[in-house]
Parts: sequence; C-alpha cells; structure tokens
Amino acid sequence: MKSSLTFHKLFVGLLVIYLLIPLVGTLLFSIAGKWDHTILPESYTLKWYIELFQDERFYDAFRRTLFLIVISVGLSVVIMLPTIFIITVYFSKWEGLLQAAAMLPYGVPPIVGAVGLIKLYSAGPIQIAGTPWILIGAYFITILPFMYQGIRNSLRTLNAVQLVDAAELLGATKFQAFRTVVFPNIISGILVSTLLSVSLLFSEFAFANLLVGGRFETLQIYLSDKLNSSGHLTSAIVITYYSMILLLTGTVLKLTFRNKRNPVGSK
Amino acid sequence: MSYVTIEQVTKGYDNQLVLNNISLTLKKGEFATLLGQSGCGKSTLLRSIAGLEDVDVGRILIDGKDITDLSPRQREVGMVFQSYALFPNMNVFDNIAYGLKMKKVKNLKSKVNNMIDMVDLIGKEESYPHQLSGGQQQRVALARALVMEPKVLLLDEPLSALDAKIRKSLQKELKRIQKELDITTIFVTHDQEEAMTMSDRIFVMNKGQVVQSGSPSEIYTSPVNTFVAKFIGNYNVCNMEVFRKLVRTTELKGNEVAIRPEVLQLVSVGEDSLDLQGNWEIKGFVKDVSMAGNVLRYEVETEECAFHVDYLHHRGEMFEQGARVQILVPKKECIML
Repeated sequence: MKSSLTFHKLFVGLLVIYLLIPLVGTLLFSIAGKWDHTILPESYTLKWYIELFQDERFYDAFRRTLFLIVISVGLSVVIMLPTIFIITVYFSKWEGLLQAAAMLPYGVPPIVGAVGLIKLYSAGPIQIAGTPWILIGAYFITILPFMYQGIRNSLRTLNAVQLVDAAELLGATKFQAFRTVVFPNIISGILVSTLLSVSLLFSEFAFANLLVGGRFETLQIYLSDKLNSSGHLTSAIVITYYSMILLLTGTVLKLTFRNKRNPVGSK
Repeated sequence: MSYVTIEQVTKGYDNQLVLNNISLTLKKGEFATLLGQSGCGKSTLLRSIAGLEDVDVGRILIDGKDITDLSPRQREVGMVFQSYALFPNMNVFDNIAYGLKMKKVKNLKSKVNNMIDMVDLIGKEESYPHQLSGGQQQRVALARALVMEPKVLLLDEPLSALDAKIRKSLQKELKRIQKELDITTIFVTHDQEEAMTMSDRIFVMNKGQVVQSGSPSEIYTSPVNTFVAKFIGNYNVCNMEVFRKLVRTTELKGNEVAIRPEVLQLVSVGEDSLDLQGNWEIKGFVKDVSMAGNVLRYEVETEECAFHVDYLHHRGEMFEQGARVQILVPKKECIML
C-alpha cells in the first residue's frame, strides 16, 4: 500500500516538474542578464520587464485582446447558456444537432476558416473583413466546443429537467426556475468553460494574424513582432500574460466561491 | 362526489399508446395507488396529472375544475419525485420555503418550521441535501410539497431508493401524515406489498390501461385476470384442462384457475384422518424449499405442473426436499379466470 502510494506521488511529481520546466525556463530567461553557457543565468535583471511596461504598444495590445475576449466570451455565455438549457430541457431530440454544430470548429483548420471568412466578409452586405468584429465572430465559434461541453455536462450532472419540473410545480415560472435553481448550480461549470475560453483566446494567434493582423494588434501579434527583436523581452511578455491569467482566474474563483456557505452538520 | 376525475385520458409516443383511454375517480382524502410493472404508464399518468406531460385526448378534473390545459404551477398539486429533486444550492429550510417564496406568502417562517416539525427534521434546517441521508431527503421533498397545501399530492415511487428498514418506517410515516392532513394522494409504485400496506384503493395498470381497481383486500382475493393474479399475489395460475385432470373432475369452467399459495396445505402421503371435505387432493413431491424470513415456500411438482405452497415458518414443521406429499386445495379458494 505504502509503496504504491509512493509510486503515485513520484508520478505526479514528475508530471508537475515536466509541466513547470518550460514555465520556469521562460521565467528565468525573462529575468536573465547574461545566460550563455551556464545551467542557470550568470546575472539577473528586470530591464526586460521595465522595457515592456514602458512600451505603450504593449498596453494597447493588451487592452485590444481584453476587449476581444470580453466581447466574445460574454456573447458566447449570453447566447449559448439559454440555447443549451432550452435544448437540453425542452427539445432534447435536437441535442445531437447542437453537439455536432458545437464540435464543427475542431474539423476546420484555422487557415482554411480564416481564408473562407475573409472571402465571405470582404464583399457583400456585411463587410467586416479586417475589423475586430470578424475576429469576435471567429472567436465565438472557436470557443463553442468549450462552452457547449462545460454547460451541457453541468446540466446533465444536475438533472436539470427534473429540477425545473419540481420548481414549476412549486409555483415558479420557467425563467424563475432557471434563475433560482439551475443557474446557481451550474455556475461553476460556466466558470470553468469561461476560464478555458479566456486562456485559449489569450494565446490565439492564427485567426488574429490572418483576419486582422497589424490593423488591430493583439497581444499575440505584438508577441510575434517582438520575437524577432529579443527573446528576453518575449519571455517577459509570456510571463506577464501568464500572471495576468493566473490573477484573473484566482480572482474569479475567489469571488465565486467566497459566498458559498460552509457545510453545516454532518451526514 | 369525486374529487379527482380522470376522463378517458389517452397519450401516445411515436404511434405507441402509453395511456389508453384511462378513466378513474378518487374521493377527497383518499390514498390511491397506481400499481404496475415498469412501462405500464403509471408514471406518465401521474406526470399528466401534474401537468408535466400533455395528454392527447381526455380531461383531468380536480375539485370540479378542469386542469387539463393548465400549466403545472397553476394546478395546485404537489409532487415528490423518485430522486426527490431537491435543490442542491439550498438548505433544508430554503428547499421547503421555495414554493411559499414563489407565491410570496407571508408568515413563511412559521409555516416552514411547522412542516419541519411534522417531518421530524428539527435541527437539520441549515443542512444541504448532500449532507442528508436518503430518508431525510425524502422527508424534505415531502415537506416541500406539503407546505404548499396542494389539493392533490402525487408520489412517484418516492420510497424505491431506500433500504428495506427505512422504507417500512417511512411507509407508516407517510400514511400518518396523509391521514393527519386528510390530503388526497396518488402514489405510484411497482411494489405490490407497498401498495397493499398503504392504499385505500389500488388501480392495477397494464399496457396503459387500468385492468382492475378496488381495495387492497378485493384486489388480492379476487383478481379479475391472470395478469393481476400473477402480479399481485404470486398466485398459482394453472391451465383449466390441466387442473381438471389433476383433481379428476369435469365440473370446472373457465380457461385458468388461480389459487393463492397460502391457502394450500401439504400433508404427507398416507397420513391418516385426511379431511377431504371441501378440498381437492393432488399428489406430488417437494422439489424445492426456500425461506423468505417468516414464510417457507415449497415448490411442489405434480404430474402436470408445479405449485407454490406458502407456510408460516413454524419450527419442526418442514417437509424435506424430495418428500412425497399431497396438496389439499380448498375448493372455495379456487378463482376461475
């Protein structure tokens, strides 16, 4: 028993090291002064961060990325949450169709998708090619699988159909049943989907580069541009946005679970 | 005067009838049970009364009011689901108070506390559903439905997920509360013993139809057909031609004969002072003996078919496996089907 537990601990430890090494390497490189032929840097400096935080372009790119993400993810939650709820609870026979539609983005490579989108939206009634709006549309589709799976799984685990039935029999309208019973119970699922989508979009490069490129510089395009000038600086950018995501995730999780009441009594 | 009336209700899915022209009536304060096997339509009928399923044809009336086209929230019925459907984000108090909050009822706290007292959950008000046992969750679900003072209480196999001991005690408690509040109750179960214990009236359902209704005693002692006989009382159902041959008579009419296992008597072959007055006698041997607590069940093989004979488990009165016996069949207990 003890030896098997040791094996598990060792295995998890190795996995953690494997996952952390690239991040630690990037962090070290972002604060390295001279690092040529030694295992660890010979000197340390914060000049890459100072340079980064003094660059107006970085703040602009960050703001643009944040704008795209907030609009895309917000739109996705507002549209997909009621859609998935209604299909799961009231029109379950359509669930297969919705699932297929949600999985479609996996089947289309970003380059093919981007070329198609540019062709479609560069002429005709909706000429949004080259604007951030086309990117918002593309991002909405990109995060669809995450939003769909997360919300649907939460609804399934909850047995939402029966809870809505019970609430309605107790005098609630369909909307009240959703707001007071279903939503509070799937919030963690929505949150996980949202955070996954945010992380994915923060590091999205293909669509951003192909659809809008330098006309609406996002963090990834800024990063790609800086990649040619200094590896230290790009490491500082990567560490900065990792920290941002970590901060954002931590804050959202803390805010969500802060008001959750402590369990009372025991089984 | 009937309080609940189901009038020629029919419902189908994909060209298959789930409820086939069902009509029944209930009196106020009655405890009725819809009893049948899985898929017989009993839960669909209950959900139709609750408004969770639409009916294709027919009407449902409660207290003289046609509720067929009303939404669930307008029907004034309470329901306890098989899996309780408690709201996981709310504690016991909030679960019970939910319906009253939706109705914006004043003095909500005292009503909820009274109900918590009635279902014996004092001290558990702040607990969440996942912190309660199955029995406690069932009480919360019951209290949540009862606090709304519904005209009809619908119970969809609410005890089926509980273990035998808790189930028995909750059966009694449920019956006590139902009598105390004098609330008309429709209970759905596939367990005939549970139906017998709890009901004032039983509606036996098969293939979307009510095949027999009556008091538990009527249903048990006078089944109208083979299905009810086999489903309700583990009856010995024997083909009439075979039975005539066994008892050497030509008088009997009907297609089948049904005999309860507990009215049969076993005696050893050759035993003296057999009183054959009013009994038929069939020879056979004990093929198997099984024990179900206080009951001993003998499977006796005869020339033509096997009979089950139930005995109360008295010490020292067992027939061994393989023993040659005679079955005494009381003539008046034979039900011709």
